[in-house]
Amino acid sequence: MAFNSRLVALVLPALIVSLPTLVLAQTVPSQDAVAVEFFEKKIRPLLADNCFNCHSTNTNSQGGLRVDDRNGLTVGGNRGAAIVPGDPEKSLLIKAVRQTDKLKMPPMKQLSEQQIADLTTWIQDGAVWPKVEFTLPKGDPSPEYARLRKKHWAWQPLRDVKAPVVRAADWARDDIDRFIQASLEGKELSPVSDADKVTLIRRVTFDLTGLPPTLEEIAAFVKDVGHVSNVPDEHVENVLHETKAIEKVVDRLLASAAFGERWGRHWLDVARYGESTGSARNLPYPHAWRYRDYVIDAFNNDKPYDQFIREQIAGDLLPANSEAQRDEQLIATGFLALGVKDVNQRYKVRFVMDNVDEQIDTVSRAVLGLTASCARCHDHKFDPIPQTDYYALAGIFRSTDLCAGVRNKMGGGGLDYYDTDLLLKLGPAKSSENDSATKREETKKALAEARAELQTLADSKEGNELAPDGRQKNVVAREKVAKLQAELLAYSDPAMQGSVAYGVRDSKTISDTEIRVRGEAEKLGPVVARGFLGVIPFADPPQVNPNQSGRLELAQWLTSEKNPLTSRVMANRIWQHLFGQGLVLSVDNFGATGDAPSHPELLDHLAQRFVRDGWSVKKLVRAIVLTRAYQLGSATPSTHMATDPANELVWRHSPRRLDAEEIRDATLAAAGTLSLSRPEASLAKDFKVTELRNNGPEAQRLMAGAVSNTQRSVYLPLVRNITPTSLDVFDFATQGMVTGSRDTTTVATQALYLLNDPFVRRQSLAFADRLLKQADRDDAARVDLAYQWAMGRAATTAEIERTTNYLTEYATAAREVQTPKLAQAGRKAPKRAAAKTSNAQTAAIINPDQVPRDEDQVKDEVIEPTDPQHAAWVSFCQALLGSAEFRYVR
Amino acid sequence: MWNPQTYSNFLSRRQALKTSSAGFGYLALAGLLGQDAERNRAVANEPANALRPLAPKAPHFKVQAKRIIFLFMEGAASQLDTWEYKPQLQKHGGKVGPGGGLLTASKFQFSQHGQTGTWVSELFPHTAKHVDDLCFIRGLHTDTPAHPQAVIQLHTGTALASLTRPSMGAWLMYGLGTENQDLPGYVTINPSANFGGAINFGSAFLPAHFQGTRIADTGFVPNLKAQTVTTLQRKQIDLVQAMNRDLAAKPGAPDQLEGVIQSFELAFKMQGKVPELLDISKEPQSVLDAYGVKPGPAGSFARQCLMARRLTEAGVRFVEICHPGWDQHNNLHRDLIKNSAATDQPTAALLDDLGQRGLLDDTLVVFGSEFGRMPTAQGPDGRDHNITGYPMWLAGAGVKKGFSHGATDEYGLHAVEGRMHTTDLHATLLALMGLDHEQLTYRYAGRDFRLTDVAGNVAHEIFA
Repeated sequence: MAFNSRLVALVLPALIVSLPTLVLAQTVPSQDAVAVEFFEKKIRPLLADNCFNCHSTNTNSQGGLRVDDRNGLTVGGNRGAAIVPGDPEKSLLIKAVRQTDKLKMPPMKQLSEQQIADLTTWIQDGAVWPKVEFTLPKGDPSPEYARLRKKHWAWQPLRDVKAPVVRAADWARDDIDRFIQASLEGKELSPVSDADKVTLIRRVTFDLTGLPPTLEEIAAFVKDVGHVSNVPDEHVENVLHETKAIEKVVDRLLASAAFGERWGRHWLDVARYGESTGSARNLPYPHAWRYRDYVIDAFNNDKPYDQFIREQIAGDLLPANSEAQRDEQLIATGFLALGVKDVNQRYKVRFVMDNVDEQIDTVSRAVLGLTASCARCHDHKFDPIPQTDYYALAGIFRSTDLCAGVRNKMGGGGLDYYDTDLLLKLGPAKSSENDSATKREETKKALAEARAELQTLADSKEGNELAPDGRQKNVVAREKVAKLQAELLAYSDPAMQGSVAYGVRDSKTISDTEIRVRGEAEKLGPVVARGFLGVIPFADPPQVNPNQSGRLELAQWLTSEKNPLTSRVMANRIWQHLFGQGLVLSVDNFGATGDAPSHPELLDHLAQRFVRDGWSVKKLVRAIVLTRAYQLGSATPSTHMATDPANELVWRHSPRRLDAEEIRDATLAAAGTLSLSRPEASLAKDFKVTELRNNGPEAQRLMAGAVSNTQRSVYLPLVRNITPTSLDVFDFATQGMVTGSRDTTTVATQALYLLNDPFVRRQSLAFADRLLKQADRDDAARVDLAYQWAMGRAATTAEIERTTNYLTEYATAAREVQTPKLAQAGRKAPKRAAAKTSNAQTAAIINPDQVPRDEDQVKDEVIEPTDPQHAAWVSFCQALLGSAEFRYVR
Repeated sequence: MWNPQTYSNFLSRRQALKTSSAGFGYLALAGLLGQDAERNRAVANEPANALRPLAPKAPHFKVQAKRIIFLFMEGAASQLDTWEYKPQLQKHGGKVGPGGGLLTASKFQFSQHGQTGTWVSELFPHTAKHVDDLCFIRGLHTDTPAHPQAVIQLHTGTALASLTRPSMGAWLMYGLGTENQDLPGYVTINPSANFGGAINFGSAFLPAHFQGTRIADTGFVPNLKAQTVTTLQRKQIDLVQAMNRDLAAKPGAPDQLEGVIQSFELAFKMQGKVPELLDISKEPQSVLDAYGVKPGPAGSFARQCLMARRLTEAGVRFVEICHPGWDQHNNLHRDLIKNSAATDQPTAALLDDLGQRGLLDDTLVVFGSEFGRMPTAQGPDGRDHNITGYPMWLAGAGVKKGFSHGATDEYGLHAVEGRMHTTDLHATLLALMGLDHEQLTYRYAGRDFRLTDVAGNVAHEIFA
């Protein structure tokens, strides 16, 4: 790879892999004092005076070249390396300053003979550039490191803990209950009574599938009391049978496809899943949905969690028995690829190191609950993670190609950022070449010529002149480039010839990497051997294979049974999703600044059980929801509130607000419009890999699509910064950040959404129509049914009375409204002169930084009931969907 | 052990205390809002705060400005043709400049204005009348000469893609809350559709209620317009509230119910109030004329200025408005005339209007771009990006009048005096608003984050 040319130039490439790191470090030209002085006296001032204004980090590096950094010169810009150390004749820089060729630098000026001679000498002598002084610390940077490694709870091996003995022997059903009960008894608290069956089935159905139970499921569960009579002294036996009934429910839920759709989404939060690069230039990832589906399937198939992690870190390096398995494992590595990326980054070395950091951050927080990326710039301030550990990991990811279909390019437009080499091909291997090869070469040549022409026009007045067709010449030239780009893609884009996925593969160059001084990508310190974090010491960590990136061994290290963090972190995540808060509140941070566990022994018990049961998520979920603790009611006796208001000891089941997806899915379920089938791909699947604007046509398509879509929310398009409103208003995960725990805010925008959003109004209309179709029911029975569909319970007499009165009053009032329309007319987007838009588009073609902004992201939609009676029903249905009871589960 | 990371969970648990009429939770709540004891007490004494995350909060030190209006000139307006008069540049146009490239003099005439004799080009005749009220900072510099990253850095403090940070407005909401609880506290009108888009007014890892509310330059806000007539909608809301109160009366009701009830009342009020505020058509003709309000894109910035004044007057903490299209790599001459024609008169009218209403006493106006442009030529009629020295100006609350801080070199290339990095600008703006940028922290991913990260110096020199 280009940015390795510094090493390549100095060492025979074949030797790199096997050379010990020390030797590599010494191959940098010796920092001869004389050579450095020559550089500082002659070369640096020469470059600063003549080149920096156009070619330095502070400026808009013309042609992608910077000359204020040795790496910048050796890597070069769009025309390739500017210098070849030791070989002035092969150095483009020398050709340019001699001005004998087409390329003449600096513009409008010629360097003196002496200056050119100095540059030549400098390159001849190896292009010495003073090195940054950096000494590797010996041992730990702080004695606190050793103490923390030994003492901090999270990094100690899992303990074999026995369930405690409890006083009241008839409450606990499982060891989990005994841990909970023991800590309650320690505070002289007793658990509240169990939840009733209707509450319980609603809770467990939402928790396991993200959906409300159907009326039939509720009825079947309520009826299912076995053969036991309700005689009081047979109470205990009755409880046993009730347990059987809930087991049936739980097993049904675990087996349903909806389980993976909910629990897969929990992982997608942690995996910071998104369908675009986000950041400064937002480009779509049209194939990201394959990873989404992989995750959902993994949870549905109860793929062992250790295998799940190994596939996501090193799926490409794992053996596969079939093509299907190979493809699945490749797709799994999308975990490492789908993060936020700044494709507008000017310098490849920064682009690469930023992405490496993003990967380290995601892996360490998602899997280990460690904030390892704090050590990018300096030794971790709180946790024993020295900078050397960070760069040991960085070497692994540095030896890995990140295949997200995009490359970095400063100021690119159109398809400039799209890189078809950075895609993983799925399916059978294609026969290598066909007759399109010639055409491809021809198109490539034509494109290069068109690019050159465009460049010439951009640099001169001629660009603004009009072409024969009356348009500006540089617009015509830019269009020609875009057209040829698209043509070339058609010949070479694997996404147009078959299926592709995002993910990673080992790089052609495998090597350890240097510490970057203060985290700055260009400031190279000593090389660090690839490896893992020393914070979790175990005796025989896997050794990195020198011929591979090391991801395979990283995956093995992460999922080793001796690594206590992976199982603890996941067990805590599972607990959190069932109880509303983790035993460790800071679910993504188990470090010294995180929270201590409320029940440390229970956490170890869960982690051990998880590993013992083959890392089965379903088994652990099942065990937990069948405990007495999970099935508690939500009452709040004042004694308990005084002792433990936050319910950390689990004396009751805390109610929770449904999350964004659940609210939307439950709305569709109540309206009878929910489609449970999995959609093909994503709404973003056909997007071109060009910049997305928040107000552009693609964004409008996504927003409109999200409003009319009736599939489960997990399948909504998740292009970063263009989040569907229904998800955005209810604290959806911040896409692009590891989000183990979402916020639960209560704000006015949620009420505005529930009152006015086209999705809610559309579904309220469908809900009302569904009710009104019940021809054999009177209004009271319809109201009752509406409550059942929305809340999962019958309406009370008072509620029925209130509602029927409401319907009458509303219809009367609606009749009195003088305006012919019950719904106010939607706002019309102001029409603008067509010429303005085309001007703006023209500007965008010349300068990708200028975009039109006269379109609104969301257009209002008029959803009208047909008559006052109908309007009253729609209004009532919308009120149900807007009520707090609808979106809280107890 | 308390960890601010779980802020919102914590809030919701504490809200339970309110419904069960226990009171001590608010003391604990205060602990998450800062380390300053006095500040904690102030918060603790305001019991309704648990349900009102945007309630006004005590600042760290003396407040000089209560509100900010930021006039964002997106695309990097050429300072050398507007606010930065460089005689040497005018003299040496066409010669090779330091660092390479051909110097290009401004084609616009500069002249001195006001008592201070401040040089302003002919492009800003209206605003030039206000120079004696303006406080220039002329030594700004930033990190990346590309719009996407620089715009994000100006708004969030960093351009690092690997972790999106909260926007400055979100930090202000977190630190100060807002005065009018019936309105959003942070409004951004006509924000960038690219260059990070929503990142620029997002809350990132801060709770979502601190993010900015996006408003189109036509005054449109999604879901803000009632979809039925008021009488009918009120009936519907009454029904929702009746259901909510039923639920609240049940044992073990959800913690946030009171907040839910309040949120509907606030939404109802906002539906009435916000569109009214954004409806500038009822302003007297004299005001509309002063701002130069007209339909279509040419009048966009005038409408935004007027909306900004109305929002500010109503107590919105932070309003950002935007005029895009200042990226003159070519057509510098033509487009500067067009852009300044669209922005000069409304900007001056806004300053006048705020002054007449006494709002400049506690409102700070900030005018500027993500970076500046080069003294050297790009192509036949353009200037490239310059991040090493460019100005902004401030006016109003807390800053000196008719003052200039910092300077660039004789050609306007590098900042040489009173250098201020973007983080210094942020630290200074926070200080004017009464916040210590080093104390305004939020714990995320095991680390206390700041708007200014590990940098930032307050430019006390400009304080009135």
